[in-house]
Amino acid sequence: MASILPARWTRVRRAVVALGALALLYGIAAAIGADRLPRRIWMSPHYVEDVELLPTYPSLAYELGFLVESGILAGAVAVSAGRVLAGVVLGSIIGILLGLATGRATRLEYLTDPWVTFFKFTPALALLPLFVLWFGYDEVSKVLLIAANVGVVVLLGTHQAVRNVPGVYLEAAASLGASPGLALRKIVLPAAFPQVFASIRVAMGLGWVTIVVAELINPRMPSLGYLLTLAGAYPRVSTMVVGIGTIGAVVLLFDMLALLLHARVTRWMGRSA
Amino acid sequence: MKSTTRQRYALGLLSLVTLVVAYTLVSNAYRVIDPASLPDALGGLLRPDVLPPTQAVVEAFRELAGGSGPPAAGARVQVSEQLAGLRREGVTLPASIVITTARVLFGLAVGMPLGILVGFLMGWSRKADDYLHPIYVLLRSVPPLAMITYIMLWLGHSEAHRLIPIVYAVAAAVVIPTYHGVRDVAGRYLVAARSLGARGRLLLARVVLPAARPAMLAGLRYGIAIAWMTAVGAEMLMAENGMGNLLVGGGMWSTRLQTRTDPAVVMAGIITLAGAGWVMDAAARVLTARLTRWQR
Repeated sequence: MASILPARWTRVRRAVVALGALALLYGIAAAIGADRLPRRIWMSPHYVEDVELLPTYPSLAYELGFLVESGILAGAVAVSAGRVLAGVVLGSIIGILLGLATGRATRLEYLTDPWVTFFKFTPALALLPLFVLWFGYDEVSKVLLIAANVGVVVLLGTHQAVRNVPGVYLEAAASLGASPGLALRKIVLPAAFPQVFASIRVAMGLGWVTIVVAELINPRMPSLGYLLTLAGAYPRVSTMVVGIGTIGAVVLLFDMLALLLHARVTRWMGRSA
Repeated sequence: MKSTTRQRYALGLLSLVTLVVAYTLVSNAYRVIDPASLPDALGGLLRPDVLPPTQAVVEAFRELAGGSGPPAAGARVQVSEQLAGLRREGVTLPASIVITTARVLFGLAVGMPLGILVGFLMGWSRKADDYLHPIYVLLRSVPPLAMITYIMLWLGHSEAHRLIPIVYAVAAAVVIPTYHGVRDVAGRYLVAARSLGARGRLLLARVVLPAARPAMLAGLRYGIAIAWMTAVGAEMLMAENGMGNLLVGGGMWSTRLQTRTDPAVVMAGIITLAGAGWVMDAAARVLTARLTRWQR
């Protein structure tokens, strides 16, 4: 334990250094650009007035203060995070189950292949009008849109992971008399876990990307997606930055929790460095 | 080997045909049963303007294939608002899919090497991981489609605000699989290889790259899917050509996503996208089989 603690501190220190350097560089750029960058910009149909291309820290702080004080930000985060989580959980469950099945049973893979392809290359935005028509304007459409988008990624990851389990392991287990269920639990699941996990991490990121699109359905204010859409429509860069920064912070939090879980679950696996 | 290939296509075709037949039956059920007599949840779905019958989708394909010119006199001219708008602007399926494919290929060509490089660095060196990971997570959380307006503020109305989000989305998607491949998979062989005295370029070329290759190729396949998604999304919001433009029925930016959609056109577009995506994925699959032959 004593040897792990300093290593972890090094990681934290380096993360702070990296993010601090980035923040400093941005601050310098914004300070230089404040007087030099144009504030009146031609956006094809008309001019946009009073644009801050690189908002300075004071103006960001003002914007953040307003959004926090009015309670807009907290409400938006709660609502959007709930939707993303629901969509990712639903999509991951479906994706993992299907991926395990298609990875193990080749015939099932052949049968489901056309459908998976269909969903895989269907962008979330293209599904939007159809989902609204079919599932209405409520939460269901939003959660399903995220789940459909995320499920395919997890399905592909799980499928590939199961396929990558060396055949020798399974043959050895079978020759020792392991039942398919035991082989699944003791060999396929542990061996496939890292890659399945990687795909869920990608899915989580994708879920946060999709939410911006999903929240174009019946846009209501407590939601991060609509906040970003509004900021883009005006356009108000400081609101965009605060919104994106909030999403970044939430994703970072989720990712850290996921990595912590990952380290805990795969403690049995030897790892270099 | 040959019989499994045949089986793959036979089963794929079987499920496809079953799906199409089932869909045709369900979507034409309104001719036999009055939707109004059914419970609301079901009756609302069975209307032809909600679940377009297969014939309508085929019709949309024919209308959009191009070369048909203005409708012949006396022909049934009851096209939806979206279809009429697309014809007025001369939008066709073949032209749209070519443009979108070009954007996707650009995104992959620039985004893949970028993502692999970053993922490799992070997986290979603990130090690089510590410094780059927080920045990567911060950057990745920027939704590609939210960047469009910002890029437009800087660069004006150009191709850049369609291509940059695609490149960025592909790169961000490829980093994590590469990272896990290099760190977790290759890491296991690394200990053995080091103890046998391998180092430097030998270690990289003979141990790490082959071991991480399956994960990188899985990353390529994510990348392809995400490139299509972003390309179409960007085109739906801000482009005057490509598949996304077709899906929303063209027109001015401000009216997009507000016009009444014709589900038959949307379905025709989605099917075309799926077909094009399938071709690209098949190529990636052949590549995967070829490059990971040692695994079998």
